Amino acid sequence: MPPVADAIVVEGLVKRYGDRDVVDGLDLTVREGEVLAFLGRNGAGKTTTTEILEGYRTRDAGRVEVLGQDPAGAGTDWRARLGIVLQESQPLGALTVRETLRLYAAYFPHPRPVDEVIGLVGLSDQAGQRAGRLSGGQKRRLDVGIALIGRPDLVFLDEPTTGFDPDARRQFWDVIHGLRELGTTVFLTTHYMDEAQVLADRVAVLRDGKVAALGTPAELQAMRGDVEIRFELPAGVAAADLPALSAAPDVAGGAVRVETSAPTRDLAVLCGWAEGRGIELANLTVERPTLEDVFLAIAGDHAEAGA
Amino acid sequence: MRMLVEQVRADLIAFARRPETLFFTVFLPVIFLVLFEAIFGDIEVSAGSDYALTQSTLQVPAFMAMGIVSACFVSLAITMVNRRETGLFKRVRGTPAPAWLLIAGQGVTSLLIGTTMVVVMLLVGRIAYGVEVSVDRLPWLVLSVLIGAAVFSCLGIALASITPSSEAGPPLANLLVLPLYFVSGVFVPVASLPDWLSSAASVFPIAPFVKMITWPYDPAAPDIPWRSVLLLVGWGVLGLIVAARFFRWLPRRG
Repeated sequence: MPPVADAIVVEGLVKRYGDRDVVDGLDLTVREGEVLAFLGRNGAGKTTTTEILEGYRTRDAGRVEVLGQDPAGAGTDWRARLGIVLQESQPLGALTVRETLRLYAAYFPHPRPVDEVIGLVGLSDQAGQRAGRLSGGQKRRLDVGIALIGRPDLVFLDEPTTGFDPDARRQFWDVIHGLRELGTTVFLTTHYMDEAQVLADRVAVLRDGKVAALGTPAELQAMRGDVEIRFELPAGVAAADLPALSAAPDVAGGAVRVETSAPTRDLAVLCGWAEGRGIELANLTVERPTLEDVFLAIAGDHAEAGA
Repeated sequence: MRMLVEQVRADLIAFARRPETLFFTVFLPVIFLVLFEAIFGDIEVSAGSDYALTQSTLQVPAFMAMGIVSACFVSLAITMVNRRETGLFKRVRGTPAPAWLLIAGQGVTSLLIGTTMVVVMLLVGRIAYGVEVSVDRLPWLVLSVLIGAAVFSCLGIALASITPSSEAGPPLANLLVLPLYFVSGVFVPVASLPDWLSSAASVFPIAPFVKMITWPYDPAAPDIPWRSVLLLVGWGVLGLIVAARFFRWLPRRG
């Protein structure tokens, strides 16, 4: 096996609109075969960066290499190795799923068989249906099918599941899992932390046109540190009666919350204490901070959530 | 080549499955032909001297012209704006498909639709109204259709290039062609227009096209209308210049 190469290398990327640096010195490397989730609030520069990598937009400074070539000057051979799902685009509504894929297959030198792609994106039951009559989630899967038809080495997905219902998102995730098994590199732009958590090998969080954090979901979660233990204060027990833990518990109403960097020890103490008194701790939970918490902390503290 | 065949095939399917485009582009000119034949068909036209030429004869090529303008200009412009604004062009530009493919696909599709309409009108004219084109002038009819389709496609692409949004497409295209249909010899014989109006209209592309395509049907008409050919081709070149200057693949919004 050859050593794992880099599918995307970005160094010091800058893109200016007027006097505003939308992308401001962005560095990022995406390895071959990995799924990278690219997170950030609206306006953080996600789509601009993605479209520079896809060759749609020019840049003002920096070095960009996608599949070994500069997107700004890359030709059709390079394009044939990419699969692109845009944030907004509609296939021809009058064509059926199969007709649409057949047309796109004609654009590529070595396309996958149309029916194989239909199976990959789970649209076998809709193959003869017109694209205009598909549900939102099905349309998006057709979009992904279009991106897969040319056997791409690298797939860009720009907010592919925005507006999906939970079922549709799960089905979509299965499609991405399938892609990874095919060895395809995936560059996934998304607003949804759970999506990044489920799909991504690594997560890059964008803030003010720079990568503010980069790592596996677990690494990013570890950056936020403490684990949270919660339970309800048992009847007849005062806050002061609780055993000494590594951090002082935070008691509000009947709910107890402890943020700890030593969850195993604290849990042992707490459970031993409760067991000794024959108390069942109601609603006992142990939680690591979610990726969402981490994201909110890193991506900046605008009032409105990104999604 | 296979790519172009697939593209045209898909474009034709997409065209044929949209009832509104099918109606406005294909059926309307044919319905107009039938209606106008019923209403004005018997009017004598003094286009030639020795021949008793009725409006019935001239209306057949006039509505052929409408069919070509409708398919190659109006429908092509609206379709291209829609595809640009919905991100379809952007999407295809992200594949290895060459840029010319999308334009050629639309051009060939419009040509096929326009030609089909010409053939339909030819047959309707011949069967229903006994309107015949002389065999020795038939090549000129074919040539006129081809030149007209090419020129109006160029103008259609030019119009698409300067149309700002999908919503603006249909009204803008129709605003341009509807008045010209009236003053260029499609709806009303040029002979019955006031001079100032017909000479004003003769500058725009529909009038010379109608003149060209009518010529093979009018045995009394003098020499081949070369000036009309030149004028029409000039419009085509202008269309290309505008298209080259303003054409874009990506949506205008955003």
